[in-house]
Amino acid sequence: MRIPQAALMLLLVGSTFAPTGYAQANSTNGTSTAAAKTQETQPGLSHDLSGVWMQYKDGDVPGTPGMNGVNEHYRPPLTPWGQEQFSHAQALQGDKAIAGKEDNSALRCEPSGPPQVLILPNPWEIVQIPGRVLMFFEEQHIWRTIWVDGRPLPKDPDPSWLGYSVGHWEGDTFVVETVGFNDKEWLDLYGNPRTSTTHLTERYRRLNHDTLEQQIIIDDPRVFTKPWVSPPKLHKLEPGWELAEWFCVLDENKDYDQVVRKPAGVAPASK
Amino acid sequence: MLHRLSGPFCLLAVAMICAPVLSAQTSQSADAKKSPAANSTPAGPFSHDLSGVWMQYDDGTAPGFARMNGVDDRTRPPLTPWGQEKFDAAKPLMGPRAVGGQEDSAALHCDPSGPPQLLILPNPWEIVQVPGRTFMFFEEYHIWRTIWTDGRPLPKDPDPSWLGYSVGHWEGDTFIVDTVGFNDKVWADLSGNPRSEQMHLIEKYRRLNHDTLEQQIIIDDPTSYTKEWVSPPKLHKLEPKWEIAEWFCASSELQTYDKDVRKPSGGAATQPGK
Repeated sequence: MRIPQAALMLLLVGSTFAPTGYAQANSTNGTSTAAAKTQETQPGLSHDLSGVWMQYKDGDVPGTPGMNGVNEHYRPPLTPWGQEQFSHAQALQGDKAIAGKEDNSALRCEPSGPPQVLILPNPWEIVQIPGRVLMFFEEQHIWRTIWVDGRPLPKDPDPSWLGYSVGHWEGDTFVVETVGFNDKEWLDLYGNPRTSTTHLTERYRRLNHDTLEQQIIIDDPRVFTKPWVSPPKLHKLEPGWELAEWFCVLDENKDYDQVVRKPAGVAPASK
Repeated sequence: MLHRLSGPFCLLAVAMICAPVLSAQTSQSADAKKSPAANSTPAGPFSHDLSGVWMQYDDGTAPGFARMNGVDDRTRPPLTPWGQEKFDAAKPLMGPRAVGGQEDSAALHCDPSGPPQLLILPNPWEIVQVPGRTFMFFEEYHIWRTIWTDGRPLPKDPDPSWLGYSVGHWEGDTFIVDTVGFNDKVWADLSGNPRSEQMHLIEKYRRLNHDTLEQQIIIDDPTSYTKEWVSPPKLHKLEPKWEIAEWFCASSELQTYDKDVRKPSGGAATQPGK
């Protein structure tokens, strides 16, 4: 059960979460495939990434999930412009966070896109179909498409919350590249900026039947003087889980402010 | 090929809920690709392959506009007293009861839309079938839903939710979806007809031929309506070159849309977090 993690979220400053339900155990696994088991017996890692995944707890504080898929300890220096953007942000956590003044876009129920949606400690699911890999996130009931039909990245994409993603295999590694982001949300919960020139790379490997390795690499020469390469994070397969419905609804946020945020001393959601 | 059928409709209909960032786009590659989910063999009449991007036909009273009558007012049964009270309190987006500047649909707050309302909006949507599940993806607010086809029953006592809990099965040529577990925060349609927590929604789908999907919506909600509400079937056209575009309802963007579109046209301002 995920109740311990949810309780942790309530304690953390500036929690963005107002779940209506938790991921539920269900005896039927709609996504279990024979392919995963067959692949285990063959050399090389499986190309079957399907399943409901949950990041392991390996944060700086023991027992916490860390949310460090984008890892502050490895952030390269900012450019002058990047520093200016970063300084405006009122962070959700970390040294710059001021209780009661947090301003992560997700507090206003703005959509959570990559990489932020990839680092949050909620269940997520991969489904692979011909030409596409689909990712579903319990966070705000978000889904994204990664095109694997050989198409290139778009040359001049319109800015969007999720970006435009294509993927391909390099041996055992599924490599996803995304461009076309808007600048309306951060890369992480500290306020590091995501811009229209952010080029996001994710690398996935199914180390074994129950373990998915995910690595996040951020490249934005306007903001960072070098690519930002975070260490890989491990995710555990949860075969009994199904994603629960969880929308961020501004109307419901007002209640959540009264019952949770204000008593915990954090910023109210609605402005 | 850009589409935005609802764009001009938005400007005509007072305070319509649409604030698209992008329109459905063709594939980015130079030669337009078929939807990757489609089988290589074209689906024939009454195929069990429902996959593809679908768009309801224009059959509205104004040429070029979809009528959004998948839930059809004309066949609505009488309301219960509870239903009548909810209906009277609702300030609809369109129709004879709409008052310019006073509309109050949940979607104006960026609240999620759910079935059946979600099913009647004139935006592209997509069906993807995998073992044990059928997915539906809607351009409307980037919503997706799961219909479990692994034989499980409907839940007996579900928690109320925006999308409900759906199971599906085949009866001959017809794919039947049953959904329960709704909350009452979304209307059944755009006229303010209520959806209660007791609603049992039934959808019936038949692929009449490769390019045509028939959809019928049946509402069984004894808390709101004195009888079952059976709407006539609607036809949807396959759009093989389309891909669902990203479209979120974001409060920051709503404010811009208020300023540039709604207020000049006399529509109600959005009320995020009201």
